[in-house]
Amino acid sequence: MNPVNISLLVCMIGLYGVMSKNNLIKKIMGLTIMNGSIVLFFISIGYRKGGLAPILEKGTTGGNPTTIFVDPLPQALMLTAIVIGISVTALALALIVKIYSKYKTLDIQQLSKER
Amino acid sequence: MVVHIPILIIISPLLAAFLVLLTRKYKIILSIASLIASIVFISIQSSRILYGDKITYHLGGWQGPLGINLVVDELSLFFSLIVLGLGLLIVVYSIPERHYGRTYYFLLLISLSSMIGVIYTADIFNMYVFYELLSLAMYLLIAYPKTGVTLRASFNYLIMGGVGLSFFLLGVGFLYAMTGTLDIFHIAEKMSVAFNSNTRMVLMSFVLIATGMGIKIAMFPLHGWLPDAHSMAPSPISALLSGVTVKIGIYVLIRVTYSIFSAETFFTISSHAILMVLGAGTLLFGASMALVQTDLKRLLAYSTINQLGIVLIGLGIGTELGLIGALFHVLNHAIMKSTLFFCAGIMIAEAGTREIKGLSGFNRQQPAITFAFVIASLGMIGIPPINGFASKLLICLAAIEAGYTVLVVIILVASAISAAYYFRVIQVLFSSPLEHSPIPTHGEGQVVHRGNFFRAWPIYILTAGCLLLGLIPALGISLVKPAVGLLLSHVVP
Amino acid sequence: MGSSKIIRTIAQKLFPFIVLFGFYLISHGHLSPGGGFQGGVVLGTAIILLALSHSIEQTEKKFKSRWLNMLEKLGILTLIFLGFLGIFLGYSFLSNFLPLGNPGQIASGGLMLLLNIAIGIKVAAGVSVIFYALVRYRGEI
Repeated sequence: MNPVNISLLVCMIGLYGVMSKNNLIKKIMGLTIMNGSIVLFFISIGYRKGGLAPILEKGTTGGNPTTIFVDPLPQALMLTAIVIGISVTALALALIVKIYSKYKTLDIQQLSKER
Repeated sequence: MVVHIPILIIISPLLAAFLVLLTRKYKIILSIASLIASIVFISIQSSRILYGDKITYHLGGWQGPLGINLVVDELSLFFSLIVLGLGLLIVVYSIPERHYGRTYYFLLLISLSSMIGVIYTADIFNMYVFYELLSLAMYLLIAYPKTGVTLRASFNYLIMGGVGLSFFLLGVGFLYAMTGTLDIFHIAEKMSVAFNSNTRMVLMSFVLIATGMGIKIAMFPLHGWLPDAHSMAPSPISALLSGVTVKIGIYVLIRVTYSIFSAETFFTISSHAILMVLGAGTLLFGASMALVQTDLKRLLAYSTINQLGIVLIGLGIGTELGLIGALFHVLNHAIMKSTLFFCAGIMIAEAGTREIKGLSGFNRQQPAITFAFVIASLGMIGIPPINGFASKLLICLAAIEAGYTVLVVIILVASAISAAYYFRVIQVLFSSPLEHSPIPTHGEGQVVHRGNFFRAWPIYILTAGCLLLGLIPALGISLVKPAVGLLLSHVVP
Repeated sequence: MGSSKIIRTIAQKLFPFIVLFGFYLISHGHLSPGGGFQGGVVLGTAIILLALSHSIEQTEKKFKSRWLNMLEKLGILTLIFLGFLGIFLGYSFLSNFLPLGNPGQIASGGLMLLLNIAIGIKVAAGVSVIFYALVRYRGEI
């Protein structure tokens, strides 16, 4: 099983969590798992076997064409995606705190009954 | 300076957003000034773009697939005009609400700026970042009153929107894995090679991106968040959500399908047919759910689902006439639905209730607002002299031309249903008032709507727009036609 | 408040080094792993460490949240201003207008160093403002 398939599997686990759990916090956990799986997916796209970290140093330059670097672009993208994921999670948790203080429950079934 | 116009249009609301946080007095002036500046910038360039010139701006001076490009072509121009025009009116409409603080204007400007960012950027990951920024601002704006229902609606939207954008990002990942670039036009160049060698991955990424955007534009089985979010938000935000934000999803769908994926992708999984079926489902579902609503804004929210179905049918037909109809309907729906939500905001505040029954006799109190509401709702139904008719007619003609007569029947049935629910509201508006006093007493800090300049004029302008586009549809079509020409030039049928 | 003398002393002695490390990460972001965001978070944690080991009131006197709020906005405005400077000097938005030095030196990234500093200020102020907000939250709304 290669990492791409694993990340898709993890993504489906997260989707299952979002769709089937009744607790609001567990839903957010599912969303975070989906986000993490996407990070795994991108990083495994950029991975090259035996590749070095893409940092220009004295030892790695010198016109050696056989040196393999991992693709730095997905890593840079994922830094952005992680930050976005964090902010979405933080916003969701803030909303949950407010919802809990209003309704005293985190169960979505009971929440949908409330007016 | 003329060269830098694409970035200036994005940056001017963004800069104003952060300046708004530093001042207390000048928040409204700053936000209006920045939006007017953006409108001036875009109108300097609009004639040039409409004559078929494409403006490309290299951000930071990095060209090609290395850097991020901003591309303004006919399609982006069309959508950004909707965003900026309606955004200005929405800011004006929010002025009388005294308790909207700096944060409100900050979020409003951030959301408008990131919408234009989504529209202009040619880098697909950047598009995702802007879309996520837009969504964050929208979640916060929906929850701005901090009452229980708004928090719940915002949370629902957050869950659905988060899943949708995750799908979109996963699709972007597949695109990057296949082509090794993120620039839309470079992906499109490498797409035919990738399609031949790796068909399944192309289809996978197309399905993921389309599903993600389907959540964002409330396609039929994925619409769950829309009625709550659009009806519970404050009225200007409802207008923004229904009129503008949903259209961004449609823009991304159009841009990604027509600019990146070729026609082969469509026909392999017959996505035209799927889009049409989903559109018809969305149409009938929205119409029939709106029929049973007793809450005015909820009715309008379901009516949004109804109208989006028509747009999806137009996109699904995919001929030139169908696309013109769909894009024209996007414009018309943006104008009409913001009029309706603006009116509904006034009605709900005056009557003190969200129930349709409580609005009886509103005609006596404010005839001008009632007139605007009637005009816009007639347009929604598709009565001839108003703009909704023109675009619906175009889509029906396109359906007949392409041989899908069933769709015409479905659109007509849905129009009949929407006539039923809009006439129910109109009837209540003109009926004699109930026992409660015709002119309500105004509480402390409540907005006085009668003769309020900032509340009335956006509505008058939008109503005039409805009538103008209805009487002279050529105006709107002349704006839409270049965009459709651009879209179809990429597709090899 | 509750923390022992050892913790307070160590935190106090550690504070300048953490700040130094944060500035190092910010200023070397274009040469090695690190950058504005990471260095900013390290700077923010320095303030958080002080607040946790000493009392929060004492820390808030030194690092006033009003000033931190202002700094956060100033950081992003500096970023946008630097972008505009590119336009005014005849290049495009956010493009480099500084001379490029030799690779590997601190002044080799052109505009990158200044952008990293702006982001670092914003993130450091933002992290500590978030911390203050979380500390002040008392369960009731």
